This record gives sequence, structure tokens and C-alpha cells, in this order.
Amino acid sequence: MTHRIVVDLGFGDAGKGTVVDWLCARGPEPVHAVVRFNGGAQAAHNVVADDGRHHTFAQFGSGTLTPGVRTHLSRFMLVDPLALAAEERHLAALGVRDAFDRLTVDGDAPLTTPYHRAAGRAREIARGAARHGSCGMGIGETMAYALAHPQDAPRVADCRSPLRLRRLLGGLRDRVLEEFPDAEGTPPVEDCVEAFTAFGERVAVVGGEHLAGLLRAGPVVFEGAQGVLLDEWHGFHPYTTWSTTTFANAETLLAEAGAQAERLGVVRAYMTRHGPGPFVTEDPALTADLPDRHNGSGPWQGAFRVGHLDLVALRYALEVTGGIDALAVTHLDVARDRGDLLVCRAYEIDGERVDRLPVGPAGDLDRQEALTRRLLTARPVYEPPADPVQALESELGAPVALRSHGPATSDKTPGGVLSPPGPRAGRAGPAGRR
Amino acid sequence: MGSGIWSTDVYDAAQSYRARTGASAFAYNDSGATTTHPGLDPKGVTFRESRDSDEHPDSLAVAVLFDVTGSMGRVPRILQTKLPDLLGLLLRKGYVEHPQIMFGAVGDATCDRAPLQVGQFESDNRMDDDLGRILLEGGGGGQMMESYELAMYFMARHTSIDCFEKRGRRGYLFMIGDELAYPKVDRRLVAEVIGDDLAEDVRTEDVVAELRRMYEVYFIIPEGGYHSGDPRLREFWQGLLGEHVLYLDDLDAVCETIALTIGMNEDAIDLAEGLDHLAEFGSDAGPSVSRALARLDAGRSPVAVSSAPADLDQDGPRRTRRL
Repeated sequence: MTHRIVVDLGFGDAGKGTVVDWLCARGPEPVHAVVRFNGGAQAAHNVVADDGRHHTFAQFGSGTLTPGVRTHLSRFMLVDPLALAAEERHLAALGVRDAFDRLTVDGDAPLTTPYHRAAGRAREIARGAARHGSCGMGIGETMAYALAHPQDAPRVADCRSPLRLRRLLGGLRDRVLEEFPDAEGTPPVEDCVEAFTAFGERVAVVGGEHLAGLLRAGPVVFEGAQGVLLDEWHGFHPYTTWSTTTFANAETLLAEAGAQAERLGVVRAYMTRHGPGPFVTEDPALTADLPDRHNGSGPWQGAFRVGHLDLVALRYALEVTGGIDALAVTHLDVARDRGDLLVCRAYEIDGERVDRLPVGPAGDLDRQEALTRRLLTARPVYEPPADPVQALESELGAPVALRSHGPATSDKTPGGVLSPPGPRAGRAGPAGRR
Repeated sequence: MGSGIWSTDVYDAAQSYRARTGASAFAYNDSGATTTHPGLDPKGVTFRESRDSDEHPDSLAVAVLFDVTGSMGRVPRILQTKLPDLLGLLLRKGYVEHPQIMFGAVGDATCDRAPLQVGQFESDNRMDDDLGRILLEGGGGGQMMESYELAMYFMARHTSIDCFEKRGRRGYLFMIGDELAYPKVDRRLVAEVIGDDLAEDVRTEDVVAELRRMYEVYFIIPEGGYHSGDPRLREFWQGLLGEHVLYLDDLDAVCETIALTIGMNEDAIDLAEGLDHLAEFGSDAGPSVSRALARLDAGRSPVAVSSAPADLDQDGPRRTRRL
């Protein structure tokens, strides 16, 4: 029985959803639960079933189209009951009628509310051109509020105590309106209490010990959100997400349960970035030619940008995560059709050739901001087009365990590491682990 | 990076959670429907098909039909919440690689509005849609008989399954109920409900013999039906199906019972292994499943399945011709 953690090594949008879906629908072992361990409702993991049904997973695990597969939202997840209801409605329309029955939520997880959302949008508007590329979902505000007022931040378990919930939501709304008197989208507390209480009655709210039972019952997939290059401590500050996007949260949960997991890093055959921030290999011609079916220009996030395979940035991501056991490479169909996708193994910064970015300790945002300034002046040093799978394997030192040639479940080709149980001769050891 | 794709409207959400709180999954029934949903109507159906495809090259047909009349009490509603997990259970430990599951319901053709409802064989959770369209009768004939014979006639003559036709491998039919079948398939009811024009009535045991060429047929008697404890029930179905009559003391264990029955029959597992798997999944159905299947496990080696129970072959020639 092998648990797996799926994390995007880039800026997000590499295809974690489709990889998680494949592991649940077709993987070498029957996965029975998907655990979310970071981010919140702003995740957008697109899955296309072989019969053409498409769903953008935000809070439900991307394995939900496989009957019986459960979702557990751990305490590291920011839970948005309002978006969750809409997502469930869409799943039901696709024929998945038991999504709520297959869901468990940790009572300690912070709640994202309309008031967080309103504050986040008001703050981003105030930043003007210097905006961070927030999704406008209130994720950053949820984290900030929970850190600043740990006793007053509403949590999932509070949805089962209407009196306490009313007090917490009221206090939150007052604080937001005090700071942003003109903030839009701040419904009356009573209406919010009603919706959140209904959520608390409908879903199974569990304690932290629940995860250990899930891990004992069968193989579990930990589904990360966003990408390592957007990590709150290791990303290019301030163009980051307020979330730990590495393997760290999943490893913490596993350690508490006395379990271990394989680390699977997901990368595209080329790079993308949704929103502003450093993007050394960005190529406007690729942005124009390779629009993403599921990622347009968002009113809060900004443009979807495309660039060439950036092995410097991915090597950096690998170093800050402490290494991976295997890679999943997606969008190989696009790479096959575009013979002009280049490979970047080094940057030129201030006339110097740089092939490795320095990795700092978590928490030093000044240092990260300095790195961002350097990256904004960096120029890519390109090599001619190469097979992206080989380039990634040689540069990152991890075997490619899954190749994806399209959006659907059946577009995936497993490699040796993810083959069905049986002899695994020639399997590479944990590569890149420090 | 993601985007806020799902609505965060507080009023929509409240309404949505209310709608899904304790709401019946029998959406069609609870909307006040009084006739068979067109998608489940057997009338005029040539075949319900279970076919191989590129994606499912080795399909195996599994049909589950349950009694929806009043004598079954709350049983159909419990079944409806449990059965969607069946596919996952079969797949999870590889008992069957490509199951295609069909759900249906049995009523009483002499007096019911929806005497027979049959969905399609599906490989994914579209089968749940069929469950949601099933009409609950709540009536029943009052003479401890339901039209199982009509259901078995339909399965024998109006399903076409690749596992059997291409590979000679039987599909599975599970019926869940607490009453007897009528002794004959009435040609008038066949014409009315299914639309076939038969020259004469067909004896129920002949239909069973015909059906068992193509399907492994099991009858599950759940505790909780009015007649579950009646000895005539056991005698009747054992006479028709031999050891393939299962008593289930906890309906919550129905999926596990069906999955392990198939797993054992496919020689993928023995009972002990299957119970280990259930424990591994964190299922607490083990004890009930164990009680339901203990006899089956004991009588399993060697697997002996005759085309019809021996004592049914006594009088007259058997008709096993498929139309």
C-alpha cells in the first residue's frame, strides 16, 4: 500500500488534477481517498473524464469522478462552504450524487467567508498596478486573519455552534467594514450563519485523528494546490500565495499518523504562469499560440502566460521541497506539436551566467524579495529544442513515472515506477532527496 | 494558480445545503411521479446491452434488481444509498476489471403502476442516475408474490451481454426482496409490460433455467421485509436457485455482500480474504457479510453450477430457446 503526495513544481496549472484523477481511476492501486492539504477554494484542478464530462475541482478531491473515492479536507485547508455548495451542485449535475456523503472536513480548518473575500478584493483594488495576482477568493485574508486573531477566526467546527459562529462572523464583518467602509459583498451576518450552519449539518466534521484511519484503510493521494514556485516562503515574494505549497503540510499530517508517502512532482512540458511576477522564460508568442482551455484572463488574477521549459526554476523548486521520488509530465501532446519549444538550463543576470538559484531558509521574505528583483532582470539562456521528458529526467534526477498526452484519463501513460504491482526491476531510488 | 470558478453566493449556498439535507436520492419518485420513468421502461426494449469497448475490453454484466413494494418497508431507500458504492468495491481489489452494472426494480404486475423498471448497464456512475429514477411502489399485491418471474423473463430474453456471448462467461443477477415469484410468466402481462407477443404462458422454472445459462442468479433476502422470516420464502427460492439464496441481517452490508459473492465466484478471493479486504477498507460490514456468505463459501469448492436445479427437470420438456 503506497500513499502518494502530488505537488506542482512550477507556478501551478501543470495538471495535478488530471494526475490525481488518473491515480484514482487507473492507478496501480485502488485509491480510496484524496486529502487536500493546502490552499482553498481558489484551486482549479481540471479533470476530463473519458466520457467527456468536465469538472473544475476546487475543494473536492480530483478523484471524485471515480465512484467511492472520498475527499478529506485537512486542517491545512481553508474551507469555503459557499463555493463548496456550488461545486457540489455541478458534480451532481454530472451524475455524482454522493459527493457530500464522501466528504470529511477537519473541524480545525479555518473558514473562508464572504467578509474575507470582500477585504481581499478591497485591498487588491487599493494596490492598483502593484497587485499581487490574488484570485479574489479571500484566501490571503483568511490566513492573515487566522494568524492575527487566532481566537476569533471562524473554523469549520464552529458551524456546529450557531451562537459562537454568529459572534465570530459578526466580529469579522465589523473589522472588515472598519478597514474598508465601502467594501462590496458583505451580506448580513444572519444570512451567513444560516448558510454555514447548513454546511455544518450536511457534511461530516471530524477530528484530526480521522486521517490516521483513512491512511490505514487503503492507499491515499494527497493533492496539493498551486505550485512550489508560488510558495509563501520559497516563492518569489511578493508574487506568492499565502499557502505552503511544498510537500511540508502533507508530510506533517503523515508524520502525525505515523505513515509515509511517495512524492510525485508534476510539471508541464513547458512553463505557464497565471498572474504577475517573475517568469524568466516567458514568450509572448507562446502565450498567443497556446491558450489554455481552462485558464483565461481572470479579473482578479490577470493574464495567463506561457514560456519555455525552465530547468533552473524547476531545479530550485526541487531543492526547496527536499526532493521527489518521481515526476509526472503533462501536456506532452502540445510539446509534440510544437517543435520550437526551447529548454533553459541557465539565466544571464547582470552579465553573469547563473544555473542555480540560491535556496534560503523559510521565513526570510526580504531575501526572497531580493531574489525576485534579480529574476526580473534575468535573461534566459536557451538550448535547442529537446525531448522534455529526457531533459527533465537528466536535470531533476527523478524518473518520469507518468506521461500525459491530453486532458482525459485515458491520455496517460504510466512508466515503471507507477506500473501495477509486480516486479519493479530497475526502479530508481528516491532521486534528488537531500 | 486557480480561480474562483464556483459561485460564492451566500443565498445559493444556503438553499443548496438545505436541498441536500436529508433529501431523498429518489428524486424522481419524490417529485410525485406515478409512472415508470421512460428511461427505465421495459416496454418495447429489444435488448439492454453490456458491451465490450476499447476502454472496457473485458466487460462483465452485473444486474441488481430490488423489490420496491410496500412489504420491503424502508429497504429500497437504504439500497439506493448503498448501491452506488458497488462499482468501487468491485474495482478496488480487482475482483472484476470491467464491471458494467445495471439497476432495476420489481413490483407486482397484477396491480402496480410500475411492475418492472430496468436501467442500462453502465461502467461509471451514470448508473446512479437510474437509481434516482426508480419509482417506489409502496403497494404490492398482498398475497406474498411479486412479479420476479417477469423480471427474470426480461433478463433472460431482453438482455444481451458480451461476457456471455463472446466469452461464454456468465454475468451476475442479484435480486433483493422478500416475496415469492408467480408460478407462471403470464403472456398477457408480458404483452402489457414488455410488449412481447407470446403464444402461451411460460413456467417460471423454465425461465429460471433459461436465465441461469447466461447469469449467475442470486436472491438476497434482507431482514426488515415483512415476510423475511417466512419459511415458504426460503423453500421457494432455494427450490429455484439452490444455495444461491442469501440471508442478509444488515442491509448496510448489501454492496459488500454482492462484491464478495462476485469475488468468490470469480475465484478472485475466498471469504476470509474478502473479509480481510473489507477490514482494510475500514468497512464494518464484515460480520453480516460473513453470516450471509458462510454457506456459500463452504459449498464453493468445487464450484458446481447446473443449468437448472435438478428437481425442476422432472416434468415435461424444458424450453431454453432464446428469442
